Amino acid sequence: MMDFLRRIFFVDILKGLALTFRYTYRKVYTEQYPLEKPKLAERYKGAPRLNNDPVTGETLCIACDLCAEICPEDLIVVGSQRDPESRKKVLTHYTFDTSRCLFCGLCQEVCPTNAIELTQDFEIAAYDRRSMVWDRKRLEKGWDRIDFGKDYHR
Amino acid sequence: MSEILLIYAIIPLIKIAVIVLILSGAIAYLTLLERKLIAHIQVRLGPMRVGWHGLLQPIADGLKFLLKEDIVPAKADAFIFTIAPAISLIPAFLVFAVVPFGPPEMLQEVLRWTLSWFLDAATTERIAQNAIASGGYVTDINIAVLFVLSVSSVGILGVILGGWASNSKYPLLGALRSSAQMVSYEVALGFSIIGVLLVAGSLSLVEIVQNQQQEQIWYVFVQPLAFVLFFICGLAETNRLPFDLPEAETELVGGFHTEYSGFRFSLFFLAEYANMITVSAIGVALFLGGWLRPFPSWEWLWFLDLIPGVVWFLGKVFLLLYVFIWLRGTLPRFRFDQLMQYGWKIFLPVAMGNVIVTAGVLLAFL
Repeated sequence: MMDFLRRIFFVDILKGLALTFRYTYRKVYTEQYPLEKPKLAERYKGAPRLNNDPVTGETLCIACDLCAEICPEDLIVVGSQRDPESRKKVLTHYTFDTSRCLFCGLCQEVCPTNAIELTQDFEIAAYDRRSMVWDRKRLEKGWDRIDFGKDYHR
Repeated sequence: MSEILLIYAIIPLIKIAVIVLILSGAIAYLTLLERKLIAHIQVRLGPMRVGWHGLLQPIADGLKFLLKEDIVPAKADAFIFTIAPAISLIPAFLVFAVVPFGPPEMLQEVLRWTLSWFLDAATTERIAQNAIASGGYVTDINIAVLFVLSVSSVGILGVILGGWASNSKYPLLGALRSSAQMVSYEVALGFSIIGVLLVAGSLSLVEIVQNQQQEQIWYVFVQPLAFVLFFICGLAETNRLPFDLPEAETELVGGFHTEYSGFRFSLFFLAEYANMITVSAIGVALFLGGWLRPFPSWEWLWFLDLIPGVVWFLGKVFLLLYVFIWLRGTLPRFRFDQLMQYGWKIFLPVAMGNVIVTAGVLLAFL
């Protein structure tokens, strides 16, 4: 009997309608990506950066080669030269192949001076493979987000 | 002479032009409303790019339809294929000739003001007093409900011919389903309207609304069952979810308009949405008191009378359209046998019972 009454008065359909009505005026989940930057997790690992000393502006890298050693993809190449006077290793070049990087973060963990760091930047697509191999200049410039502005994406 | 010309030709033609223009715009924006509403039901945003919150999207869509290549399939019956969209669109628009948007004296003031620039006072007054010129409708014929039912049935022909002329399997199946569905629900729809006709004692939509005004009650409260039946059958008649089997994407690709593209497709599209508005408008006139304010019998709501009748009418139509779309966002599609079963075994007997009970009550007590 109750079942019959439920069917006659469309109780289930009305319940469904009430549910969809509640959802209609909820906050939407859609992120309008290029206009609206997504919120990333704090631990998110993205584009690499080679840090400079904020005071002197010299590189923090001591060319110890640990990052190149630990990298599972062998994509880091550290070039160094011994300074004849101070007998210290000096960084000459540093390349990081972002096309092969799996963003495991081992390089940043192993680095004794926090020179190499994976930033939160994820917009690192490029038009060809060659420009995905970042050299020292590009790495030191770091977070190079191109902001096209609102009108670009319209 | 010029007076007759004005009353019976020029003013109605102006009204027709205005209604057709507004209707086309309304249809275009109905598609946007549908996309936005369903998007929000699904916690999405819907069209956002063209104009502020996608407000220019219908214009962009229309332009796209116009600029697309005009394709007639090689094995299709070209003549029927070409005229089928028009056959389904014209009846959809034609019905609006009898839809009462406002009371018979709606345009009196406007006519008095505009005509006084050209004509002498006596003629102006005569024209303004004439209901054909000043009414909020194109024409008021005494068989309006019959006219609506018969003309809107012609629209089915367009669907069937379109499906047949495409010379393709899916459109044919879609057209067959569509005709079966529309024919079977037309019966229950007609019976649900008869309930109102018995109470109102008239077939003219204007008079039906005027009767509701006299009795100070909307007919939903007199004929609630008939309204529910009318609405459900209206859903089926316009091929809307949950009765959209003729164009069930998952089974039939696109139904009867699978082979159509570009402008001709857009005509079918327009016809479908125009039918939605038609069903809503007829439903408002028959059941929801047309241009009357809510609860016309409650005196203390007098301030609602300050809002003109057209606004009430359009507001109620909007409300029904909202429910149309809302239902689409809520319910899944019926199976074909379920559809037929509901139509013939439930809705038709219930509608007939409603007619019999109404007639009996009217005979016994009035």
